[in-house]
Order: sequence, then C-alpha cells, then structure tokens
Amino acid sequence: MNFDWSVIWTHRSALLEGAALTVGLTVLTMLLAVPGGIVLALMRLSSNKLARSASLAFVEFFRNLPLILVIYWAFYVMPMAFNVQFSPITTALVALVLNVSAYNAETFRAGINSIRKGQMEAALAIGMSRRQAMFKVVIPQAARRILPVIASTWVSLFKDTSLVSVIAVGELAYTAMQIRAQTFRVLEMLTAMAALYWLMGYPQAKLVDWIHRKYGVKE
Amino acid sequence: MEFDFSPIADNWRFFAGGLGVTVALSIISAVTSILAGLFIALLRLYGPGWLRPVLVFYIDSMRAIPVLVVLVWIYFAVPLITGMSFPPFWAALLALTLHIAAYAAEVIRAGIESIRPGQTRAALALGMSRAQLLRKVLLPQATIRMLPAFGSILTIAIKDTAIATVIAVPELMHRAETVAGQSYRPVEVFTAVMLAYFCILFPVTRLVDRLYQRVAHMGRS
Amino acid sequence: MNATASPPARKNAGQPPVLVYENVRKLYGDFVALKDVSLQVQKGEVMCLIGPSGSGKSTLLRCTNALETIDGGRVLLDGVPLPARESEVRKVRQRMGMVFQSFELFPHKSALDNVAMGPVTVLGMSQADARARARTLLDKVGLGDKAQNFPANLSGGQQQRVAIARALAMEPEVMLFDEPTSALDPETVGEVLNVMQKLAHEGMTMIVVTHEMSFARRVADWVVVFESGAIIEQGPPAQIFDAPTVTRTRDFLGHLGWNG
Repeated sequence: MNFDWSVIWTHRSALLEGAALTVGLTVLTMLLAVPGGIVLALMRLSSNKLARSASLAFVEFFRNLPLILVIYWAFYVMPMAFNVQFSPITTALVALVLNVSAYNAETFRAGINSIRKGQMEAALAIGMSRRQAMFKVVIPQAARRILPVIASTWVSLFKDTSLVSVIAVGELAYTAMQIRAQTFRVLEMLTAMAALYWLMGYPQAKLVDWIHRKYGVKE
Repeated sequence: MEFDFSPIADNWRFFAGGLGVTVALSIISAVTSILAGLFIALLRLYGPGWLRPVLVFYIDSMRAIPVLVVLVWIYFAVPLITGMSFPPFWAALLALTLHIAAYAAEVIRAGIESIRPGQTRAALALGMSRAQLLRKVLLPQATIRMLPAFGSILTIAIKDTAIATVIAVPELMHRAETVAGQSYRPVEVFTAVMLAYFCILFPVTRLVDRLYQRVAHMGRS
Repeated sequence: MNATASPPARKNAGQPPVLVYENVRKLYGDFVALKDVSLQVQKGEVMCLIGPSGSGKSTLLRCTNALETIDGGRVLLDGVPLPARESEVRKVRQRMGMVFQSFELFPHKSALDNVAMGPVTVLGMSQADARARARTLLDKVGLGDKAQNFPANLSGGQQQRVAIARALAMEPEVMLFDEPTSALDPETVGEVLNVMQKLAHEGMTMIVVTHEMSFARRVADWVVVFESGAIIEQGPPAQIFDAPTVTRTRDFLGHLGWNG
C-alpha cells in the first residue's frame, strides 16, 4: 500500500478555502444566532402567554432534533415553502441558525434566571421599573455567567458545520471528501481533514477553557 | 401543493427496522462511552504521570474534531492502515464511543473533583484505602451528581447516530433518505422522521432537565 | 383576631398615621400568611415587628411596598391606597426605602455607585449630583472611606450599611427593614444597629422586622407581636417586654430567653 502525501500540498488552496468557509459559516451563524437567542429568551421571560409558548415550542423543537436531519429537511422544505431556489449555503445557514438559536435561548434564559430574585427585588424597592432592573442589574450580572456557555456553544457549532457537507456546501469536510473522491487518496485526505480541524479547533477549545476559568462562577 | 404521506405508511416496517438500529446504536454507544470515559477519567486522576498528557491530548482533540470526521476516518482510513475493516454499524459504534468518551471522561472527572475534600479526609481517617474511598464514598456521590450529564450523553448519542447515515449504517436517518429518494416525497418523509426523532429525544431531554433540578437541590451543601 | 386593647399615647398621635393596614389578607395557594391584619404606623415612629418565623411579619413588610400583592384589604400610604398598576406602584416605592436580610447590593457596582444608582436611574439625577449625595450618605453611615470598594470587598456589616445608605438616597418617608441583622456575624450586628438607632433619633419613620429584642426594647416606640399571620399583641416596649398581657407573647419571649 503506497501513500502519496504530496496530494495534500497540491490541493492546499482548495483545502484552505474550505477551512475559510468553515470559519465563515461559524462566524455568520453565531452573529445571527446570538440575537436570535436573546429574542427567544426575552419572549420566554415575558408576561405575554403567546410569546412564552411560541418561544418554548421553538426551543424544545430544535433542541430535540439531530442537526443533520434539520439540514436535510431545510434543503427540501425551503424551496417548496417559498417557491424559490436557495443556494446550499443559504439553506445550511438557516438550519444552523435555527439550531444554535434554540441552544442560545436556553443559555440566556438560564443565565438570567440564575441571578437571585433578591437582586430584582432590591432594584424594584428603590423604584426602578422591571425594564430598568433587567437591563441595569440583572443582565450585566447574567452576562458573566452566559459568556463561558456561549463560548462552548461556539466550539460545538464549529464542529457541526462539517455536517452541511451532506448538502454539498464547500466547507472543509466537503472539500476534503471531494478531493478524496477525485484522487482516490483516501488515507491522506481524511487524515489531512482531521488534522486541519484539529489545528483550528484545538486552540479554540483551549480558549474556551481559559474563558471558563476567568469567568467561571464561584458560588 | 398536496402532500402524500403514503410512502411512510407503505414502508413502515423498513422505518421500524431503522428505528431499531438507531435505538440500539444509541444505547450501546452511550453505555460504552460512559464506561470508557470512566476508565479514562480514573486513569487520568490516579494513573501514572506520563499517561496524563496523553489522555488530555486525546480529550482535547475530540473537542476539536467533528464526529463526522472521526466516523469517516475509522470507516475508510483505518482499513488502509491495518488491513482490518469494520462493518458500518461497528465502525459507527467505535467512532461514537471514541468521540463521546472524551466528553464523558471530563464529566466524570469534574464529578469526582466536585466532592468536598473533607469527604476524602474523613474516609482516609477511618482507615479506608484509596480504592475503598473511591468505590464507597466518591463514586456513589459523584454518580448522583452526574446523572443529568449521563442523560445528556444519551441525547448526544441519539443525535450522533443520525450522522452514521453517511457510512450507510441502516439507522432511521438512512432509511429516511432511501425512502425519500425512491418516492420523490422528501418533504413528507423527512417531516415524519423529524417527528419520530422528536418523540424519542423529547422525553429524554425532559428527564435530563428534571434530573438537573433534583441534583441542584442536592448539590447545596 | 387582633388584640383590640386600646393603645396608650403613641408618637405624633395628633397627626394622621403614615401607613395604615386595613384587614390585609395574603394567601400563598391555600396557606393564609396574613389573616385580616389591621395596623397603624405613626409619623416618626419606630415600629418593631416580632414573632416566630413564618408568622407573617416579613410578608406584611413586603406587602407594604408591593413586592407582594395582597389578596384582601388595603394598604394606605398617607391616606392613599397603594395603586394596583405596576407603573404607578413604582412611584410609591420611591417614597419607601427597604433594607433586606441578604443586603442585595449590586455586585457589579462600587459602594458609591450602589448608593447613587437609585437617584441616577429612577430620579434622573446627574451622575455627579447623585455621587455627591452618595458620598454624604456613606459618610453618614461611617463608610466614607469605602466608597470605591466593591461589595465583595466589604464585610457583611459594611454591606448592610451601604444598603441602608442606598435606601436613604431616595429620600424616603418610611424605611422598611426586613431582618437587617439576621445574616450578620455578632461582631458586626452592632455597627448596623447603631446606624439604625441614629436614623430613629433623626425622626425617620421605621418599620423593623427583627429578632434583636434588646434593640427593640431600647429603640422602638411601638412593638407588634405576630403569630400565625395575625397580631396577638401590640404596645410600647415596656408593656411587651416587661408586662405582656397575652400569654403567647410571654411564651414567645421566654422561648428566646428573654428575661425582661
């Protein structure tokens, strides 16, 4: 069995483009899913029963589905529902944002709820409105607890972008597997794929550890 | 636009088989991951010093590499190195275990370390050996605290089995793709399968949430 | 049933009471926390609410500034019932100050900014003016040199004194204290009680839920004894502590080791 590792070098620009798209998808998804999560969390905490139920249903639904299934489903349903052809990237982005927003919503909600009721009461007692109390007292404290969890979600998202390869989005996994199919260099390409993910993901994981240490809650 | 859900009804046995594989793969990989994770965590806490960085490297690497990548590597690349090839189900089981055990190891390590040091001191003062301390004092307490996390591991395992479709493991997701392709009714098929997965996962997540609430109550020392 | 002994001369008896509770009723599910409680608080009076845990004293306090809603009866501040709408209740809360057992300082703000927060956020004062007021109040409670400290760097007693300053910054008519010293080490209890006593001498109307019987004996103008959601006795400290007219009062005090 002979191995030709030079094939990795030959296709380095394609692989790097794939890696760049992986990063781009992660960044773009988070940019949309953080506000998405905040909106969902505030809906869940609001006094409006409809908003609460809608948010709860959305979050529970997307937390309880495999992402790969959501990706496939979006791929087939979106063109049918909107009568428009979407590019695979758009479909991928929609699926990812729906999925991550649901997780973020839980993170934000739990973070806000973890701030003791007494803080809200103290703020109300000096005459603040609920809104003022939320934005000036509760949320600044909740942010500290929420950040490490969002960081962990980020790393999970980074890995999950590999799943959009099933609908032919040209991120790293898809690119590597395409090159494998073209060159028949299975071991080399799959190892390169793993190594590239490792190179990008390992520092991120370490960064998350640092964030957890720095902002971890000491009760 | 009309919907035709008949392909699902017509192929219900096919789907049921897929569901069976999903359930089997999920449960087995959850169990093997937890056992492997326990082994790794104990090695890390009490094993030889030189082993520690190796284990940490493994754990951190699994945080960086997607499960899909591990899966295809084991199924396609390992045979080229070792000459040994795995049938899809076992390749998936191995890959899932490898990936999830890293997470389980961290959970277990954190669980053991979260027990107050006074407990260890008290047990040792009574004359217990380290092994007894572990078996009779630390692990029982840690297990209760970790139950919700173990539930999470089951959830993760169930969701990850769907990824095994890419190496043609005949689980539910793969069955869905097959029927969707043959019947040209992807929307109906995938919607139905979505509901199926939801019905499996929702009770498990609910249980985990409830366990977390119970444990939080006990965690107050 | 409330004790209906006609009270001897109370402080500022000629003036209308600041707070009036009329048949206040509060339920938590099936549990009746307050059973038709009626009470009056005079201007400038220091009223201490005492009684066993769960007897309703803290509940009554929290109904006073509408942190809890009542299920029957009325609470009147200066003759006006508390409004039902949250937006209007806010204005009433500005006229009362509350000090909590767990201090509840805002951990992400310095002592100075904790005290200034009310004036800035609620009264719309400028930062500079609010901080000036805060400095004065911190001096008043003896913590002028701790203005820049964050709550994590303050002892319990110091935190509670900052909390008192924070409540005073809103220039309230009434100060409500919910077991202000119960969470403090015995050494620091004194510094907080001294501040409270000073406040009392300056004529502040105060309602204090407390277990500190010697404080109540020394500083209170009027003592109200609660049990199971109702008032069983009320009167001047001399009566309650030296010659209680109701057996259950005597039992409660005896339980606490109070030897008169």
